[in-house]
Amino acid sequence: MTNHSSANSDSNGTNIHNQDLGWYFLELARLGASRATHLEDTEEQLPSELNTINSSGGFQLVSTDKLSVKYTSVNRHGHDVGVVQANNPAPVKRLVYYFEIFVKDAGAKGQIAIGFTIGTFKMRRQPGWEANSCGYHGDDGMLYCGQGKGETFGPTYTANDIVGAGINYASQEFFFTKNGAVVGAVYKDVKGPLFPTIAVHSPNEEVQVNFGQKPFAFDVKDFEKQERMKQQATIEKISLPPNVSYGIVRSYLLFYGYEDTLNSFDVASKTTVPPVYMAQENGFNEQDIVYALNQRKTLRKLIKSGEIDSALGKLHDWYPQIVQDDKSATCFLLHCQKFIELVRVGALEEAVKYGRIELAKFFGLTGFEDLVQDCVALLAYEQPQESSVGYLLEESQREVVADTVNAMILSTNPNLKDSHACLQSCLERLLRQLTACCLERRSLNGDQGEAFHLHRELDISKN
Amino acid sequence: MSLFWIVIRQLAEIEAMATSKKVITKEEWEKKLNDVKIMKEDMNKLVMNFLVTEGYVDAAEKFRMESGTEPDIDLATITDRMAVKKAVQCGNVEDAIEKVNDLNPEILDTNPQLFFHLQQQRLIELIRNGKVEEALEFAQEELAPRGEENQSFLEELERTVSLLAFEDVSNCPVGELLDISQRLKTASEVNAAILTSQSHEKDPKLPSLLKMLIWAQNQLDEKAAYPHINDLSTATLEDPAI
Repeated sequence: MTNHSSANSDSNGTNIHNQDLGWYFLELARLGASRATHLEDTEEQLPSELNTINSSGGFQLVSTDKLSVKYTSVNRHGHDVGVVQANNPAPVKRLVYYFEIFVKDAGAKGQIAIGFTIGTFKMRRQPGWEANSCGYHGDDGMLYCGQGKGETFGPTYTANDIVGAGINYASQEFFFTKNGAVVGAVYKDVKGPLFPTIAVHSPNEEVQVNFGQKPFAFDVKDFEKQERMKQQATIEKISLPPNVSYGIVRSYLLFYGYEDTLNSFDVASKTTVPPVYMAQENGFNEQDIVYALNQRKTLRKLIKSGEIDSALGKLHDWYPQIVQDDKSATCFLLHCQKFIELVRVGALEEAVKYGRIELAKFFGLTGFEDLVQDCVALLAYEQPQESSVGYLLEESQREVVADTVNAMILSTNPNLKDSHACLQSCLERLLRQLTACCLERRSLNGDQGEAFHLHRELDISKN
Repeated sequence: MSLFWIVIRQLAEIEAMATSKKVITKEEWEKKLNDVKIMKEDMNKLVMNFLVTEGYVDAAEKFRMESGTEPDIDLATITDRMAVKKAVQCGNVEDAIEKVNDLNPEILDTNPQLFFHLQQQRLIELIRNGKVEEALEFAQEELAPRGEENQSFLEELERTVSLLAFEDVSNCPVGELLDISQRLKTASEVNAAILTSQSHEKDPKLPSLLKMLIWAQNQLDEKAAYPHINDLSTATLEDPAI
């Protein structure tokens, strides 16, 4: 958050409290502008080609497209292996990373290897022969994981075989495939960035690498799906207190003042078989959120249908303290919304007039400025909904304003113990906790694995 | 805070450090919670998904109007689905079967197990109502042929028919078949099958996410001490248990 304190220094005690709440929603209102981008994880550089700079020097030749490698020398000992790494380490912020090679020519001895190595790996040794590396070798089908000797692992592979190597971040395993089927997996005992690595070690061996530019022989998508289902199965075994979801939904409806929904919900749950039983002694205090339910519902309805003047009028009558400071974040959001509604119906002249009276004073005020500018920018476009500030015309913007007013009314409840309680519903607090736990765990785990995104979770259909 | 508690806390922190667990204070954790972005629409979708899947059709309709959230299924189909569910819950199995077939005849055609369970429920209802002759006839004509196809069906059938052997069914070993929970079990099986046929998940997402929260907290416990939410219905943040 930026320094909000500078914006309104003349507020008295109660206003500071209200101001804080309003600021919270001001942030939300601006969230709309960055909607498309904020969901994505910071993009990681993916391996896309072979690294020709950090190479073993002279034993092998990488093709000009940097996607195939050939052993061009004569191997005499164990320190003249032709090793190449990918240009970037395997990305970690995902469930699975995977790449494949196609053995074009097994050469004299078929001493080909595929695996992962760390950045400082000795580039004249087979992956797996040295510490912090792991490799599946073609000539003996053995798996080498940092020790000189390998262990029996899978079949050998040779010319015309497609062999794959992957990292499963959920199980912390390396896994290998041959011609589209999993060969086996081994615990990933290496920390730090791991580079996809291939090695050739006898005359004329030639290998092509596929970092995903072409379809894989192995169905990675399905593999990921199976992994997710495994995890899901563990999670589904956890038991919940009875009717807890029901209670959370109900308190959500109360919190946001969705009164009509709540009434239907209550009527229906009385007639279900068996009737939904809600324990009252679990600290679920209804009194606090039933507060002003009908007024909150009415105001939400007005705002959602774009009738901002009526909403302001009602607020003046019912909760003058909320709208008394015309420079508060709440008033600002309402004025912005009124302006937006005028643009929506094409009353541009009136919008300009309204803007001059009600919005001009917010120019230059930290915290308000971006939104004022975005609002005014609506006037510049013939088709504002398709412009960069089009988010203002979306339904979600009305919802933010309605939520702000709802929270402000909740904050006037004299029984309120904690001012934070009117900012977030129980459901929201749970979802934040869930997201924070997943993110924290990942960050303590070297950023490995998928993060939790509610948005993505809702998009994934289980079918 | 009394000196005692300060000492206890410090000891706990030292202990946590010894096991190389990261300690996250409530203040630090709240900052992390604040940095999380949760979109209102997504929460609305989650609530709508709950209403729709659990069959709160009126509430779903109202919620659509009040929140502007579009349901992920045609609301009319909920009414039909709930009618089927209710019919089973009330013991009107014949009616339920007819309604399922009206909805989509493939549901029962492609789910022999579900169809058997519905027929079994019908038999149970006949026995409950003391229609012994009708029950026997129904068992022989409708259920026995299916039992021949499938061993587990046959066992179920035998178990159900044995209800007839007892004068006082409330005390017999298979008495639970007459329990309301048997109806609910069958009802939720039909419900799930209808949802699947509408390419909708058979369970609402909210309970899964709550389970995931419990799981995620357990997972993080291995690496860090941080404030938990133990009571899901209040979502109160507890002090880190170190």
